[in-house]
Amino acid sequence: MSAIALDSKENVWSGGRSPFNLSYGKVMMWYFLMSDAFTFGAFLISYGTTRFFSHLWPDANEVFASFPWFAPEGGAPMAFVSLMTFILIVSSVTMVLAVHSGHCNDKAGVIKWMIWTIIGGIAFLACQAWEWTHLYHHGAWWGSFRNGEHSESLQHFFNHHTTDAALIAKEGADAAHKMFNFFFSITGFHGAHVASGVVLNIIILLNTINGTYEKRGHYEMVEKVGLYWHFVDLVWVFVFTCFYLL
Amino acid sequence: MQFSDYEQDQSRLYNQHFHDKNSTDSKAKVKNIWKITAYLTIITLVEVGIGLYSHYTHVIGGLKTIYNVIFILMTLLKAGLIVSVFMHLGDEIKNMIMTILIPLTLFIWFIIAFLADGGWWLKINEYFGIR
Repeated sequence: MSAIALDSKENVWSGGRSPFNLSYGKVMMWYFLMSDAFTFGAFLISYGTTRFFSHLWPDANEVFASFPWFAPEGGAPMAFVSLMTFILIVSSVTMVLAVHSGHCNDKAGVIKWMIWTIIGGIAFLACQAWEWTHLYHHGAWWGSFRNGEHSESLQHFFNHHTTDAALIAKEGADAAHKMFNFFFSITGFHGAHVASGVVLNIIILLNTINGTYEKRGHYEMVEKVGLYWHFVDLVWVFVFTCFYLL
Repeated sequence: MQFSDYEQDQSRLYNQHFHDKNSTDSKAKVKNIWKITAYLTIITLVEVGIGLYSHYTHVIGGLKTIYNVIFILMTLLKAGLIVSVFMHLGDEIKNMIMTILIPLTLFIWFIIAFLADGGWWLKINEYFGIR
């Protein structure tokens, strides 16, 4: 939210004010997020390249088909990841409401919505922890499926594509090995972003409760951390598409 | 505005411009946020619906490619809503928007070049019988 209206008749680059009408901190947050977008983009594109290079690829709807309590052993494709996506979208919404409360100088509102955002972030991380644990117990991890182990999981991953056991044992195992290396690396890198985002949100919440921003006269820090938090949601939108839909 | 307003404490940039929480403008903004939330949720549900449909009807080949194009377009739509509304990039001045968006067009080359490379190597390996 920018405060000063730019006079278009003046040259914005002649000095004396920010040409972007933004504070230094916010401009730098945007450029950091842009560089982070390229990091995530490079990960996802290398995943895509490997997939294009592979003859056979595990079926995401068979790999990610479990839901705690209701379908712990599969049979519910997309259900759990939809829940995770929804949690992250909602926590993004509560964050934008916290930013809005900051614009209104509403300290109680900022505190309320920051607490909801933090709860959303922790809920997402808990879901991810469950999913990783579940996959680990079915033999999937970094470097897995290289030595002929967990062949029953492998058969399952390629259900709709082939029943050729020899092909699955060779090419299928190789593809599953690659897919899980990418899956754990990319969702792990994203999860690390979520975890650090939760830590930042907690710091901002404590500062708000202590009245730091009230004394400063503005809640711009909520906006800056909010940008980071929305970016984490944005990355998940692409991770969701690349791993679960395509 | 003095140059120094953009350094150190930047409160002068912000503190004179608080909105009133109960104003109609503020309420309209909150309403818009919930509207965008509904859009994001509906788009995600449609994606999941198409994904499940293609799973249970065993869609493969050309039709699956069409579904994938739909998924990518819906993903870009969601990304656009998040960036322009939730991250308020749509409210910034044009120069700022362009310094973020123009570098991201590198992705057009990035995606095409690398996926084409992956596809080409698969073709070569199949041609020579290496898998």
